[in-house]
Amino acid sequence: MNKIAYSAFIAFLASIGTLISVQALSSDEADTASEARDITLDELAEHASAESCWKAIHGGVYDITDYVPDHPTDEEVILDWCGRESSEAWDNKSPGRPHSPAAERQLEDYRIGRLVDDQGEPIEGGEANDQTGQAASQETAEAAPDAAPSPAEDLRLHRAMLGQPMDGHYRGVFTDRGEIQVNITFDLRDGQLTDVNFRHLAYRGVDYLTLEEDEDLYPVMLQHRRITEWLEGEPLTSIFALYEPARVVDEVDGFSGATLRGAKVISAMRDGLNRGVYSWP
Amino acid sequence: MPLRLYRGDLLLIVALLVPLAVAGPRLGWPPGEAAALLGWVGRVSGILGLAMLLVTAALSIRLPGFDRWFGGLDRLWQLHRLLGFSAFILIMLHVLALGLARVPAGLEVAVLTLFPPLSQLALWSGWLAWLAMVIFLAPTFQFFGRLDYQHWKRLHMLSAAALLLALGHALPLAGETWPWWLLGALGAGAMVWRKLLSPSLARHPYRVESVESLARGVVEIALRPEVRGLDYRPGQFIYLTPLDESLTAGRGEEHPYTIASAPNDSLLRVGIKDLGDASHALQTVSVGSRAMIEGPYGDFFAAHYPQRDALWLGGGIGITPFVSGARGMAAADESRRVQLFYLANDADRAYYLDELSRCAEGVEHFTVTPHFYRQLGPLSESFLRHHCPDYADREIYLCGPPGMIGHLRELLAAQGVPASRIHCEVFDFL
Repeated sequence: MNKIAYSAFIAFLASIGTLISVQALSSDEADTASEARDITLDELAEHASAESCWKAIHGGVYDITDYVPDHPTDEEVILDWCGRESSEAWDNKSPGRPHSPAAERQLEDYRIGRLVDDQGEPIEGGEANDQTGQAASQETAEAAPDAAPSPAEDLRLHRAMLGQPMDGHYRGVFTDRGEIQVNITFDLRDGQLTDVNFRHLAYRGVDYLTLEEDEDLYPVMLQHRRITEWLEGEPLTSIFALYEPARVVDEVDGFSGATLRGAKVISAMRDGLNRGVYSWP
Repeated sequence: MPLRLYRGDLLLIVALLVPLAVAGPRLGWPPGEAAALLGWVGRVSGILGLAMLLVTAALSIRLPGFDRWFGGLDRLWQLHRLLGFSAFILIMLHVLALGLARVPAGLEVAVLTLFPPLSQLALWSGWLAWLAMVIFLAPTFQFFGRLDYQHWKRLHMLSAAALLLALGHALPLAGETWPWWLLGALGAGAMVWRKLLSPSLARHPYRVESVESLARGVVEIALRPEVRGLDYRPGQFIYLTPLDESLTAGRGEEHPYTIASAPNDSLLRVGIKDLGDASHALQTVSVGSRAMIEGPYGDFFAAHYPQRDALWLGGGIGITPFVSGARGMAAADESRRVQLFYLANDADRAYYLDELSRCAEGVEHFTVTPHFYRQLGPLSESFLRHHCPDYADREIYLCGPPGMIGHLRELLAAQGVPASRIHCEVFDFL
C-alpha cells in the first residue's frame, strides 16, 4: 500500500508539474506574439526573406514566415513583399480588390508589433508608400502570367466560365450515385458572395449536418463549414479556389481523404448559377 | 488481511457511501463526453476521498470492545491505513481530474482552476489539507530515513489539521453539507477522544505487585488494580503506561503488551521481553510503582468455530496469549481439544514451559508439545503430524516472531490448510 500511495504521489506531482509547465511555456509564446512592439522600417527591412518574412500593413507589423508556404499565391510574389510596407499589396489582392475580412482576422494572429518612424511615431501604412506599392502590384501582374496560374487562380478563366451572373438569391445541388450530396444556397451582391449555407450535405446515407461533435466524420463537416465562411464576402470567381482545398481549409489530408470534396461544392454552386436567380434580393 | 467481513465493516461501507448517495442525484451517471467524464470523476473521487479521510480519522479511535467489531485493533488499524492511503490517492485523482476537465477551455483555465487567486480560501484550504497529508505521510514513505515511533506519532497529529482543512475546503464548495458535518464530527470526535480525553478517562490505575525474571531479558510483571480490574479474555492486550520515576526510558509512554494472566486472576500479568528502550527499562521497574492500563483490545481467540478443536503454535514472547489461554482453561468449561506447540530455541528459552506443562496435567483436553529449534531445526510437517495427526482440520492460532510466522504459514499452506482457518495477530509498525 505504501508503494502504491507513493507512486500515486509521484505521478500526481509529475502531472501537475506538466500541466503548469506546458501552460507556462505556451503562454510565454502568446505573450510575446501579442505584445505591441515598436518596429522601425530599418528593422523591418532585415526580415526580407523566406527564412524571416515581416510585412508592415496599415501600421501593424506581421511576421508571416510560417504562413508563406500556405498562402494561395505563389511564394515568389509573397516573398517579394517581405521586409517592406505592404499595405498596397494587401489592398490589391487582385487589382482593386482587397483581402477578405476572414483573411484580415487570420492576419491578426501574426501581429508582432507596430510600424514606427525614426522618431518613434507610428506610421499608418498605405499613402506614404503609394509609389512602391504601385510598382509592386505591377510586379504581381507581371509575375502571374509567367508562373502559369493554376485553374484555382486564373481570374480570366473564372470570369469566362461564369459569365456575368445577376445579383440575387441562388440555390443549387450536386447529385451523384442517386443521392443529393450537396445542396447549397448563396446570395450575390455586387458580384460578391454572401449568406453561403449548406441546405443539405450527405454521402452514402450519412447526413453530415446532423453529426454530433464526437463522431468520426464531424471534422469533414467542419471543413465544409469553413468553406462557406471563407467564401463569405469573396467575389464569385473565388469558388474555383476550391479545386485546391488546401488553399481554403486546414487539415487537408483529412479533407481530401474524405468523400466530400471541394469540386462538389463548386459543381453545386454552378448548378445554382445555371438555374438562374431563385429569388430576388 | 483475510477477506472476512465483520459487522463493523458494513458500518464503514455505509459511512463511506452516504455522501456519494446523497450527491448521487445531482451527479448522475458518468457522461460520455471526455471533459464531462473527467469532471464527473473529479467530483466523485473528491466525495469518496473526503469520506474516506473522515472515516479514517474516525477509525483512529481506541475504545475497548469497539475494536472487536472490526476483528481486533490490529485489523482496525490496517483498515485505517488502507482507507487513509486510498483517501490520499483519491484526493489527488480529484485534483487532477478536475484540472484536466478544464483543458478544453484552455490550459490557462485549467491551471487557474487548480491554482486560483489566493482570495479563494476554500480551494487553497484543500491544497493545505493535501500538503498536511504529504507531511504526516512522509515518514511512511521514508523520505527522511527510518521511522522513529514516537516522532511518527507526533507528526501524525498533523492529520487533525488535514481533517479541519479538508472540511474547510468541502463545506463551502459541496452541494450537500450535512454528510460532511456528520462524518467530520465523527472523525474529529475520535481524535479528541484519543488524544485529549482517553489519557485521563480510559486509563485505569494499577500498581506493580511483582516483577519475576523468567529468563535473560524476559520478565513477567504482575499488576494489582487500585480500584477495579479490567474484564478481559485470553489473547487480548493492553496499553501499559509506566509512571515509575526511576525508569531510564519510556516513562509516561504507552506501549502494547499481551495479557498473560487468566481472566479470573485478581492480578493482571504481562510477559515483557527486552526488545526496545521502553521494554528494556521495564525489566527493572520498581515494585510498588504506579502504571496506567488501557484496554483490553484485540480479538485473537475470537470464537469463529468454538466447537472445532484448536491448534496453538507459539514461540518467543508470542507464547503469552497462549499462557493466558492455558491459565484460564482450568476454570473455563470447554469441551474442545487444544494442543499447544511451544516453539523455542532450547529448553532454557522455553520460559513458560514448566507452568504450561502443569496446566496441561490438570486439564484433560489440553496438551503441550515443546519443540526445540537447536535440536530439531525448523518445525517440520512430520513433527506436527506425528504429535497432532488431525492438525489440518483444527482452528489454528499463530503468535511469534515474523520468521516463525512466515515458516508456519508456508508449511500450513503447502498442506492445503485454508487461510481462513489460520489466525494470527501481528503487531507490525503501521
